[in-house]
Amino acid sequence: MSFGTRCDDDGAMHQTTLLPVPTIAPPNSRSVSIEARDLTRIWGKGHAAQVGVTGVDLEIRSGELVAVIGPSGSGKSTLGALLAGIDTPTSGSLVIDGVRIDNLKRDRLAAWRSGHVGIVFQDFHLLPTLTAFENVELALELGARRVGRGDRRAAVNRVLDRVGLIQHARKLPAQLSGGEQQRVAIARALVTKPSLLVADEPTGALDQRNGHAIFELLTGVAASGTTVVLITHDRSLAEAATRTVAMIDGRVDSIIERGAL
Amino acid sequence: MRAALRQFRRAPGRISASVFALALAVGAVGVLAIPAVSEGSLHEAVARDGLADLIVSTTPLSTDQVIQIAALDNVVAAEASIDVGVRADDGEIVRLVGLDIQHQTMDLVHLDAGRLPSGRNEVVTAPSMGAIGDLVFANDVRYRIVGHGETLWWSGRDTLYTTLETARRNTSQVGTNRLTITVRNDGESDLRVIADEVRGVLASNHDTFTAFPIYLPNGTTPIDADIRQISQMIGLLGIAAGLVALVLLASTTNTLITERTREVAVMRALGGRSGQLRRRLRRIALGIAILAIAIGLPLGVLISNLIARMVLEKFVGITPDLAVDWRVLIGSALGTLIGVRLVAARAARRIVKLPLADALRDRDGAPFGRRARDRFLTRLPIGGLSSRLATRSSFRRPARTIAVIAQIAAAVGAAFLIPSLAASVTEFNDATTAPWVWASQTTATDSGLPFDEAIQAAASDSAAQGTVVETGVWVFGEVNDLEVDIYGLASDTRMFTATVVHGAWITAGSRGAVLSEGFARRQSLDVGEQLTVDLASGLVRYTIVGTVKDFGRAVYVDRSVLAADLGAPDHVNAVWSSDADPNFTFPVAIDTSTAADLAAENESGRRAIVAIFGAIALIVAGVAALAVVSSMTVSLYERRHEFATLQALGAGRRRLRGLVIREVVPVCIVGVAAGIDVGGLGTRAIMRAFEESNQMDIGTVQAYSSIPVIAVATLFAMIVLATLVVRRASRRSVAVTLRGAA
Repeated sequence: MSFGTRCDDDGAMHQTTLLPVPTIAPPNSRSVSIEARDLTRIWGKGHAAQVGVTGVDLEIRSGELVAVIGPSGSGKSTLGALLAGIDTPTSGSLVIDGVRIDNLKRDRLAAWRSGHVGIVFQDFHLLPTLTAFENVELALELGARRVGRGDRRAAVNRVLDRVGLIQHARKLPAQLSGGEQQRVAIARALVTKPSLLVADEPTGALDQRNGHAIFELLTGVAASGTTVVLITHDRSLAEAATRTVAMIDGRVDSIIERGAL
Repeated sequence: MRAALRQFRRAPGRISASVFALALAVGAVGVLAIPAVSEGSLHEAVARDGLADLIVSTTPLSTDQVIQIAALDNVVAAEASIDVGVRADDGEIVRLVGLDIQHQTMDLVHLDAGRLPSGRNEVVTAPSMGAIGDLVFANDVRYRIVGHGETLWWSGRDTLYTTLETARRNTSQVGTNRLTITVRNDGESDLRVIADEVRGVLASNHDTFTAFPIYLPNGTTPIDADIRQISQMIGLLGIAAGLVALVLLASTTNTLITERTREVAVMRALGGRSGQLRRRLRRIALGIAILAIAIGLPLGVLISNLIARMVLEKFVGITPDLAVDWRVLIGSALGTLIGVRLVAARAARRIVKLPLADALRDRDGAPFGRRARDRFLTRLPIGGLSSRLATRSSFRRPARTIAVIAQIAAAVGAAFLIPSLAASVTEFNDATTAPWVWASQTTATDSGLPFDEAIQAAASDSAAQGTVVETGVWVFGEVNDLEVDIYGLASDTRMFTATVVHGAWITAGSRGAVLSEGFARRQSLDVGEQLTVDLASGLVRYTIVGTVKDFGRAVYVDRSVLAADLGAPDHVNAVWSSDADPNFTFPVAIDTSTAADLAAENESGRRAIVAIFGAIALIVAGVAALAVVSSMTVSLYERRHEFATLQALGAGRRRLRGLVIREVVPVCIVGVAAGIDVGGLGTRAIMRAFEESNQMDIGTVQAYSSIPVIAVATLFAMIVLATLVVRRASRRSVAVTLRGAA
């Protein structure tokens, strides 16, 4: 397995042949991938207003693996949703890969997402009626680029192989373990070769071994040039990121370079 | 109730939809109350207006004869009145009814305004004939309207109610010509005995009945048979409405419970006992059911009264007061509570029994992949990914899909039934008039056979060159206790084209009778057998010589034989002409109608039937459509995370719509196909029921030409619904929806 893990019969991953953490180039040597200015997301109005994030200024360069950490309710998931384009800011601007996405219409935003972003959710959000293979294939099917059936199958097989699930390709999510489902979700996020991967607590539902393997996979993705934003409350995972954005009460509290945590 | 209100605050849209859906289901059951409400209102009118048990039209009678009849055994009262047709200024025939206003106990005129007539030429009329104080002219006599009102027997017809003296003075009647009798024992056979005794009394003075007596045994009304017949049909549609309501009730309740799968799982995880949780779920469902009943019962009363009003206004001409059928009311409330309780209990048991881990993980109460069926579906090579997704989603919730198909089928069935019913009635009307080739039919407005030989000669003489004029007899009688049209025709008639099915046509001067084929078949009356016909003059016998295809319930005999049997040899009461405007001038009141008039009358009847059944079908279709909307809305709610995931992966609204449409179209096609079958069977069942209750051929015509319209409309409606569903689904922030799922 190229992923560097092995699976036992029940699909659990074992951290026996972990790949070394790839070397990630320092941020300043790359072009800016994400540029957020005074980003704010508030739900409701007046006394009932609930602040998700407020006044967030952030620059993330291509190929960076940035961890966003903070306590519950600090706004890290909201920031992740905004960066992934699945939520729109109340105010502020957000430019990703040169496209200002904060004022894109709903369908344009969906089209942009399909071509640029891969999203990994904490609780997977796999479609229960589709097999692992089909769940991954779905991302290509929905993608802006038309991909031939043969190429699509090859791409899906490749990415499933990469996450170590090729032998479970025909299984439905209900037949897979939590770790396996998360790997399918990652494969789905990667199959379109996005320039930005947003992973919200991707290891939150997993045991330590599986969690670590997932993290290794993400660092590998970043090493291949994809910008990765990792939302986590696990400081040990954040330590391996190039930079860590710490959030408190919807604001960026600090941005810490690798090793400074 | 408190739990239900708490649920309402939590999700007002969905709970309102559920309450409304259940309320409409309860209301739809109100259709079953229509017959009882109609009959109740009718019998109230019977009691109010004092309808007689036996009504006979006679040759003019003296007061002594009436007293003699009142003294007959079993007779409580016998009252005489005058009922004649008079021509109003506008040329229309209206009834002039002379009653013994001061002493009468039958046919009481109930006033809505003004007073009863007492002076000379004073009348009470319906408001449509003029205001109180207005003058009405009839047969060149001036009448003053002193009150507004009517009595059941003549309701719906333009009638001038006046005193016996005024009626006698202003008509050629030397005595009274209508007799109403009430009896102690009012069974059918008792009434027939009385009728024969009255015939005897009349015969002693050479008087006769001029029309077939009307028996109203056991407090029935003249239109009881019609009401019963229409009630049967309404009952059929009521059952359809009830079944659709049941599906709606079951699916709504099931959804109410199922969507709480995860919530219940969390409670179970926190130590909630299954019995306690089941009780809680049942209570929520029952609370919502109680709210629905509170709205649904008045709705049901409204529905039943509106349709009962349509029935009574059309068939009796009376506008009933608000009436309630408590049996249906209580039955539908109890049925709803019991139904909700049963469905809720079953659904609650199911979700409480789900493995806790599965239930906690599951977001919409419909896990997929654990059953062999699910795995089989994943191996089916069905089209592209979107088609596979759509197919599996449909099979993921088979009960919901079947319910949606059933609901579409019910709506389509109801929609197909109406044009089929209309086409069948039109075809029947055309078929009944087809054998008759006259352009105009002139009949005496009063009973009996008043056209003597002189009148018949005058009719022939007045005919223009080349015009065919033919006289005949058309009366009502009974065969095997069923009312039949009895025609006395010339054996070489040129006004009736007989399509003989069995035997032969009538011959001049013979006692042979020809019957309607459908009627003869249903009554097992064969050629060569004796036929006993109950006429106004009493029982007569004929020999069946043939049957004809006429879509009626008729007996055709030789004109002179029938006239003699009716006690008026060489007299007739009908003149048929090939001239649409014969302009006859007879010394008796006549009414001339053309083929166009008959067609208009038929069309009016057809419209009434279509309106009544259309209203019920509309309720069925409405409940079914609401059930579809409710199911689709709930389905959307359950699948909001699925849609949000697809959006997160880059699916735009168009894509989502495409996915939903792929799912909806096959379901819609199956539903439409099933609905056409259901509608076709329903039409056939209704027409068969009509045929059986009328004992004659009516025929069924399926409106196949309406199928493309219905199919396209249904498909269009489903696509619009899918579009709205997707628009609603995609309106919310993807992140917020997905976070809600977590």
